[in-house]
Amino acid sequence: MKKIFCFLLSSIICFCFFTTNAQAAKKGGTFNFIAPYGGDLSSLDPHKTNRSQDYIVILNIHRSLYIWSSEKGKPVLALADSVDISKDRLTYTYHLKKNIKFHNGRGVTADDFIWSYQRILNPKTVSSSVRNIRIIEGADDFISGKSKSIKGLKKIDNYTLQITLKDVVEPGFSLYPPEVAILPKEEVIKRGDGFGVSPVGCGPFKFSKWVKGSEVVLEKFNNYYEPQKPYLNKVVYKIMPEAASRDIAFKVKELDATIVGSVNYPEYKRNPDISKNMLEIAELWTRVICFNVDYGPFKNKKVRQAVNYAINTKLINRKLLKGKAVNPVSFLPPTSPAFSENVKGYEYNPEKARQLLKEAGYEKGFTFECLGTDNSTWGVRAVEALIPMLRKVGITVKPVRMEGAAMATRAKTGNFQALIWSLDSGPDPLSALSRWKSDNKRNGGNYCGYKSAVYDNYLDLARKTTDENKKLDYLKKADQTFLKDAPVWFYNYNKAVMAYHPWVHGLQPMSVELMFQDLSGVWVDDKSPRKR
Amino acid sequence: MKNSILKIKNQPNLVIGGFITAVIIFMALFAEVLSPYHPVNDADLMVSEEPPQISYLMGTDDQGRDILSRVIYGSRISLSIGIVTQLMNTIIGIIFGLSAGYFGKWWDDFVMGLTNIMLSIPSMIFALAIMALIGPGLINLFIALGMTNWAYTCRITRSQVLFTKSLDYINAAKALGYSNTRIMFTQILPNILGPILVIGTLGVASAILMEASLSFLGLGIQPPDPSWGGMLATAREQMFTAPWLSIFPGLAIFITVLGLNLFGDGLRDILDPHSYSKIK
Amino acid sequence: MLQYVVKRILLFIPTIFFISLIMFFILNVLPGDATTMSGGLKRQLDEQTTANMRKQLGLDQPLHIRYFKYMKGIVKGDFGKSYLRNESVNLLISERIMPTLQISLAAILIAVGIGIPLGFISALKQGSWIDTLSMVTAVSGVSIPQFWLGLILMYVFSLVLNWLPPQGYGDGGFMHMIMPSVTLGVGYMALIARTTRAAVIEVLNEDFVRTARAKGISELAVNYRHVFKNTLILILTTVGLQFGSLVGQTVIVEKLFSWPGIGSLLVDSIFQRDIPVTQGCVLVIIGVFLIVNLVIDLLYVVIDPRIKYTESNR
Repeated sequence: MKKIFCFLLSSIICFCFFTTNAQAAKKGGTFNFIAPYGGDLSSLDPHKTNRSQDYIVILNIHRSLYIWSSEKGKPVLALADSVDISKDRLTYTYHLKKNIKFHNGRGVTADDFIWSYQRILNPKTVSSSVRNIRIIEGADDFISGKSKSIKGLKKIDNYTLQITLKDVVEPGFSLYPPEVAILPKEEVIKRGDGFGVSPVGCGPFKFSKWVKGSEVVLEKFNNYYEPQKPYLNKVVYKIMPEAASRDIAFKVKELDATIVGSVNYPEYKRNPDISKNMLEIAELWTRVICFNVDYGPFKNKKVRQAVNYAINTKLINRKLLKGKAVNPVSFLPPTSPAFSENVKGYEYNPEKARQLLKEAGYEKGFTFECLGTDNSTWGVRAVEALIPMLRKVGITVKPVRMEGAAMATRAKTGNFQALIWSLDSGPDPLSALSRWKSDNKRNGGNYCGYKSAVYDNYLDLARKTTDENKKLDYLKKADQTFLKDAPVWFYNYNKAVMAYHPWVHGLQPMSVELMFQDLSGVWVDDKSPRKR
Repeated sequence: MKNSILKIKNQPNLVIGGFITAVIIFMALFAEVLSPYHPVNDADLMVSEEPPQISYLMGTDDQGRDILSRVIYGSRISLSIGIVTQLMNTIIGIIFGLSAGYFGKWWDDFVMGLTNIMLSIPSMIFALAIMALIGPGLINLFIALGMTNWAYTCRITRSQVLFTKSLDYINAAKALGYSNTRIMFTQILPNILGPILVIGTLGVASAILMEASLSFLGLGIQPPDPSWGGMLATAREQMFTAPWLSIFPGLAIFITVLGLNLFGDGLRDILDPHSYSKIK
Repeated sequence: MLQYVVKRILLFIPTIFFISLIMFFILNVLPGDATTMSGGLKRQLDEQTTANMRKQLGLDQPLHIRYFKYMKGIVKGDFGKSYLRNESVNLLISERIMPTLQISLAAILIAVGIGIPLGFISALKQGSWIDTLSMVTAVSGVSIPQFWLGLILMYVFSLVLNWLPPQGYGDGGFMHMIMPSVTLGVGYMALIARTTRAAVIEVLNEDFVRTARAKGISELAVNYRHVFKNTLILILTTVGLQFGSLVGQTVIVEKLFSWPGIGSLLVDSIFQRDIPVTQGCVLVIIGVFLIVNLVIDLLYVVIDPRIKYTESNR
């Protein structure tokens, strides 16, 4: 008995020793990462920016109530241990973690949540995150100044927060993104506009240095609330908009991980050393050509379908994008919970396309202009590839290359025949599909001007039901209706690819945006040139 | 007449430069006959990014189009842009620079102010403004490129005039009662033409490359029409993975500019009154 | 002389005023505004937020009122506040002007250091192999896009040889500066070499040089005393123009090497329609340009006393 006890004890000690040792081995090192989108960052104040480039960094400095879980494919609680949900699914009572500290050392309480959400709604803040907080009851009254506080936001005690929603929605989708992070009131007030360049949050890393246009440096926050984490001592985000220089910097081992573009994808894939250390995921971005359904030929559903049949989409994705794209089915991608598994998208069938055009009265074809930016994946380059395919069925497409802002303006006013774009199709399928509702105008994102009573009806049903399965079912039906009506050419879902060196561990396949890496769980082993 | 033929014969630069330029102009004129494929219509994704081989001497691009044919057709747009805009720049630059340097006073101040403005506003902003105000199109591209870069030539011309106009022979011409225009164009200009021609011909390269960056803003050539600058610009990411995409249009620009530059040097030797005597 | 300097400096004012007016007009007629672009292309804002944002930025006010407000700030030396960054433009620019001047200066040193001797030698030895070589170098220098050159340098010196850091500012040290400066300098080197050659040939053909030769002064002395002095004017002009425009043309190099300069700030702000930043950058670039060229003009007189501004302006 004694022996067994001793054995148990020693094994427990051993176990503890090894785990702590393993934990210790994970610790330390600098991680050189990238901020690859466009140019410099604009602000590290989560409430005041709307750019992916900024969120890449922000989500490691700040924390929101929820956080995206790549394992579960949905938001999970971050700053709270548990939540009680009322029967009508409108009231959520969060039991907040008690050990959360801001980088200035002060503990986080329910007041900070209330203050942060109020700051977002306050028109003076000019926050683009307003739409996320608007799900809370009384938000509109607060915005208009009718009430001094948000009715649906209550502090029960320091560590208990109650949120009442306006409608039955899953609050995680609105309250997980980095743009609704919890901020320390005193620091925001003290720093004023300077908060965006020297932020204070409660995330795993604290802000250290920002060399504008070159790099952002973060340092480990020792009082982070998750035990043992973060492992890294330092994170450096290199601002590198050029894919070619990222490629070289990665190969020189200056970067620990990098995002891979379609140009380098086949090469990285072929290289056995790199290819075993690659993350690939279908991101929740759907690339389409929006047909303006008010433009002559595109008024007719058959014409729109014909275009889809006439294009060898798979060939374009394979050759032009070198396989760095997921072939489309409908609007929602496979990583969406409402993806229609058993449905087939449009096949390449020029015969059928011709047939449909004939039925629509466009036997002799027609001409249309397609606007696009110089983006190499979802810009005019893709439209160019359509020219020979569409010519075979008599359709002439003229690519029109435009600068982003000029094109966005035309997209919102409907002054175009067709345009190519990348649209978000998640994470919440309901809000992704709401883009195409009849009451959503072009400047709200319904660029096609798509109108369908059947589609609207499915979405309304999905919104009202409390049964999760039924909801998904309605959403799938809506998605399929959209597929049949074909107000867009379904081009692809983005296949995001990240390559990393063998010494890097813990990167996550983030379907929302692969670059949105929470680095608190990432660690580097001794082979890293920057371990110490 | 005999004399001038002799002069040309003694100018290897002029002959070689002229030959290269003539070949490229010939290529542009007879693109239909010379190209093995159509630069746009013969696209076939199945053969995209093929390296150079017998059937595609310069390989194919990302859309599966023959690069040789696109280089040949591209000469039309690139050559006309390079030459037309540089002619515009040089002529405007010479007129302003000569007169500013020669007359001085308020006119000089005015021209200097104007060049300062032209030189300091980024050409991209000009291009965007032209897009917004008069819309896209080839002519507008000419305007955008031809009206913005003359300031450089102008400043160089002016500085040369400032130095030249104090020389003896100019004073002599003045004493002889030559008109100002005559002095400017027959006495000063031939003596300062060298640097101007260098800038004018080398500038062709930057005009061809600039075309691409302005086309990206929507001004000028739109895909799928080929232009050398455009081909280079779209191939930039593939520089290491498919180098033939950028090497051949790059080479085309290089040869063109080399030809024009040689031609310009030769031209200068003929036009410069002082070099005449040397050859004789 | 002093009178001339004061006059030139006073002339800065109408120039700057005029440029700011043109810029203000141009930037405001461009399609789209900062609210369209605040989220990049993919993230769109809802109407209410856009309207609120426009109001806060003052974009809903008429153009002339905005211009007067802006000019009021300019007079006080305040370039306003960035639309997207919530930061003062003064601060943004002051952080990024130094790195740009750093590589611009290095680039021009490379261009002058190599370009002028190359031009001189090829002019004195016309038709020699070195002349041909310098011509081919010059033509390649202008034909190779900066992007290409930068990547090739990066490939060779970082990936293959592992001598230089592939990107970044480091501490602004020498090693980080080499590749960006060379990339930037090569095209200008080419232009300076060719212009120098042309200028030297012109001067060699001038009567007084030939007279000097006839008088029997050794060729070397001719080269130094007359040729160099008179060519210097042209070279100075070229350098002045190059340096002035360099400051605004560093964007490709900056983006390639993650160099924290003003060029990328300017170009990004144009695409993002962040008007105060664009304006501020352009005005600062103009300032640098005007000062450099004033200095160059004054140097003309120092080099060649025959150019007398006061006289020609009377």
